Amino acid sequence: MRLALAFVVAALATAATPAAAQTPHLNEIIRIRSYQGRDRGPEQTDKFSAKYRLGRDGRVSIANISGDIVVTAGSGEEVSVDAVKRGRGDRSQLDQVRIEADSAPGRVDIKTVYPMRSNSSVSIDFTVVVPAGASLEVHSISGSVKITGVRGSVRAETVSGTVTAADTPKLEVAKTISGNVTLTNVQTEGDISVGTINGMMNAKGIRAHGIDFSSISGDLVIADMVCDRLGAKSVSGSVEYAGSISKTGRYNLTSHSGTIRLTLANPSGFELNADSFSGSVRSDFAVTLGPTSGNDRRRPGPGRTMHAVFGDGGATLTIRTFSGDIVIAKR
Amino acid sequence: MHPDPAVLNDYVEDALGASGRADVEGHLESCADCRGAVNELREIRDVAKALDPRDPPARSWTRLQRAIALEHGARAVQVAGSRSADASGSGSRRQLWIGVAAAAALVIATAAGLRYAGFTSGPSSSQRATTTGGANANTDAAAQAVEAELKQAEAHYEKAIQGLETIANSEKGALDPQTAATMQKNLAVIDQAISESRAALRVQPASAPAQQSLLESFKAKLALLEDTVALINEMRKGNDAGAARIVSGLKGKG
Repeated sequence: MRLALAFVVAALATAATPAAAQTPHLNEIIRIRSYQGRDRGPEQTDKFSAKYRLGRDGRVSIANISGDIVVTAGSGEEVSVDAVKRGRGDRSQLDQVRIEADSAPGRVDIKTVYPMRSNSSVSIDFTVVVPAGASLEVHSISGSVKITGVRGSVRAETVSGTVTAADTPKLEVAKTISGNVTLTNVQTEGDISVGTINGMMNAKGIRAHGIDFSSISGDLVIADMVCDRLGAKSVSGSVEYAGSISKTGRYNLTSHSGTIRLTLANPSGFELNADSFSGSVRSDFAVTLGPTSGNDRRRPGPGRTMHAVFGDGGATLTIRTFSGDIVIAKR
Repeated sequence: MHPDPAVLNDYVEDALGASGRADVEGHLESCADCRGAVNELREIRDVAKALDPRDPPARSWTRLQRAIALEHGARAVQVAGSRSADASGSGSRRQLWIGVAAAAALVIATAAGLRYAGFTSGPSSSQRATTTGGANANTDAAAQAVEAELKQAEAHYEKAIQGLETIANSEKGALDPQTAATMQKNLAVIDQAISESRAALRVQPASAPAQQSLLESFKAKLALLEDTVALINEMRKGNDAGAARIVSGLKGKG
């Protein structure tokens, strides 16, 4: 996830810039967001609706500071934006937070603009419908992002919140620092990069050339996936992979302390390189063990190494843990 | 269909078998994109090979330390003079960027050095020697060489991490409490992994899983610290358009 999350903030920093020389500081806004709900008084809301002509395959960007973003695909050529501002206390705060849209042929950019150094606790929830073929870029600081059915390229990043993408065949990036990532039915000929630092990652029905999953303390659960190259990495989370492997695919799965479990459906063959310092290694397939398999006799303890071949040995499985168990199971 | 990037990388590193090499060369004859990719990989390899894999250039580390010191100095002046966030001015921001850039350069040099020092994701040289060498003397020599390389790698990582930690700790107030807590919690998770790997290596210095786990943990910590510093940077900058351009430039290179 190196530096990528900076781009979320950078995009928002740019987006938050009003035409005048106002300089709201994102950290202040976020701190204010942290105290949201502590303000006294009933919730105030203000609705915003607008439509912009885009064309069938234009580009849409949405940058929000605080609040959720839901994007779905529509059948027309317009971008439809419905937003609800929410805040407590002084209603004038709602008016100070603006939604700005910049529309040009083939492009619609939507952003929120906060006043300089206000005590605003306003958040904005967006519900946006875009043409199904549009490309989409969504950035948020504090809020969840949910995208469904968008057929153009999709990049979704938030700092604090969940990221959910379904039926987005050209998903490129789905990342968050603190929150879960859920992907469903993503089919692309390209590569996908998915990351969270502190959340769980769920991916189901993914077809892609290459996929990189990374997490530090979250679990990775991957099901019904088809890809030629997989990198799945966690420090303390477990990694579960259930699906097929391509004939010459490369699959690298690592976790320091989590269990790694691969459940494979009728593989034609694979070369397995599995190592664990103190966990166990088990394969339910009738593999041919290499000479270095078994206990590492150079040291005591339960650690295992399994270098083995199954079937035609076409795919390469490289699996490593420090203390977690490794299981290769049949589906 | 284009070859997998990993295959192209292996091709550039002469790590493919004869048939694999022939396959790639056959493809390259008709694919300008892959020829370009191979040329770029060769350039990266040549540049990385030119880097000293043992010690980062002293001037880089000195620059980093100076940048950090200047940054601290700028902040001290700022705190003494005014608590206004704007008072830090563009000079202070530039110094933080210099520090980050220097640390990033050090990390790149370190990573490149490690890559060509033989620490790859495959079986370690000690493991290969253990299983194929047959001669105990060779095995022990290889194991000792890997252990020595590991220690040097560890030292490189620790220096790079220390630099980024200094920046992150001095500026962590720029993050909102929730994000800061998340970063801190996950740094602790990685520190635990580093600690466990080190403990394992004290008992079994030649353990390939423990060696690899230690290096992976260092990489994870570096990456998280880079994210943390990058976030801090952007938070401090607010909506500084110039800063956004800098980040856009980085994005283009990423």
